[in-house]
Amino acid sequence: MIRDYGILNDQLEPDDAFLYGLPYPGVFVCDEDGVVVAKFFHDTYKKRDSPETLIDAALGRIELAEDAPRAVCEDPEVHITAAVHGGQGTIRQGIIRRLVVRFELAPGLHLYGRPVPEGMIPTTVSVRGPEGLVFGEAQYPATEPLRLPGLEVELPVWSESFDVVIPFYPDARVASETRPLDRDSLELEVEVRYQACDDEACLLPKTEKLRLTASLEVVDVPNLALHVGHGQREGSYDAMPHMRRMILRSLRRSPAGFLRFVAKNVMLEMAAWRRRRAQRRDA
Amino acid sequence: MTIERDQHGFDAPAPLGHPGRLGLDPGRSIGPAVGERLPDFRLPDARGREIDFHADRGASKAVVVFYRSAVW
Repeated sequence: MIRDYGILNDQLEPDDAFLYGLPYPGVFVCDEDGVVVAKFFHDTYKKRDSPETLIDAALGRIELAEDAPRAVCEDPEVHITAAVHGGQGTIRQGIIRRLVVRFELAPGLHLYGRPVPEGMIPTTVSVRGPEGLVFGEAQYPATEPLRLPGLEVELPVWSESFDVVIPFYPDARVASETRPLDRDSLELEVEVRYQACDDEACLLPKTEKLRLTASLEVVDVPNLALHVGHGQREGSYDAMPHMRRMILRSLRRSPAGFLRFVAKNVMLEMAAWRRRRAQRRDA
Repeated sequence: MTIERDQHGFDAPAPLGHPGRLGLDPGRSIGPAVGERLPDFRLPDARGREIDFHADRGASKAVVVFYRSAVW
């Protein structure tokens, strides 16, 4: 099935013991006809999308959960909600959550997208967080064209309600999976700049700052010697019998191949040891 | 066990260059593209019952997940 899908990890060699046969991890979302409407593959298996992202892709809209951490700007003209979407707002190494900034506009008002007309303020959303939190580009929805009487050009605008999305994940600087967490939450500071207009006049440009706190969580690791003791959540099962079965199976299939895999691992460990020694010398 | 940080900024309990840590080249596309129909498959579910993907999902949307270990 992995070959049928064309996603066999072709960087692994048949000798790579129990690793060979793994697919590149990723997700396909299909519609009622089985046609792919979204796919999620990343440059490293450590980056994974939140289940909410997959559900949103299937639904074609963002369903914010009640319990998502959020900050609200209660403006009667432009109501803004910033929320950490996915995993009940928790943050874990490599797991991609999304900052969703939802604009709800009073009837008749619109905000400008790009390219903005001369003298107007485009809507921008930016976010800052601690070092080690990696933010993607802000994703703005498509604008609608607005034609005003007496104006030749169409203006790119948003009205009623729309979402701006910024994907993010923590890397090992803030949430390693090989040492305990040194804090239990992270602060995000969201800055929103916009100018709301109706068909005749514009309100003053505004800059709003919203602060959010999301809790940092350990990841779930298999209960295997190489993962335990790192301060993460260890599986409450014994994974060794399965590991032994996989090792025996690859040994039976190709004893020489298995030995080559072991030799490769020894070489890699030695190279890592030399890197560590060089680092110590430099320090 | 060696713990090293990779070019993506992630730590793992295996040395750099270990086949288990290799990623997908950036920008390389694999598998069916958006707009293509997913290949059909038959696989047993958790109870051992054979599932025929397209026939058994009926007229529902579906998500097909290939994962290394479930840590959501």
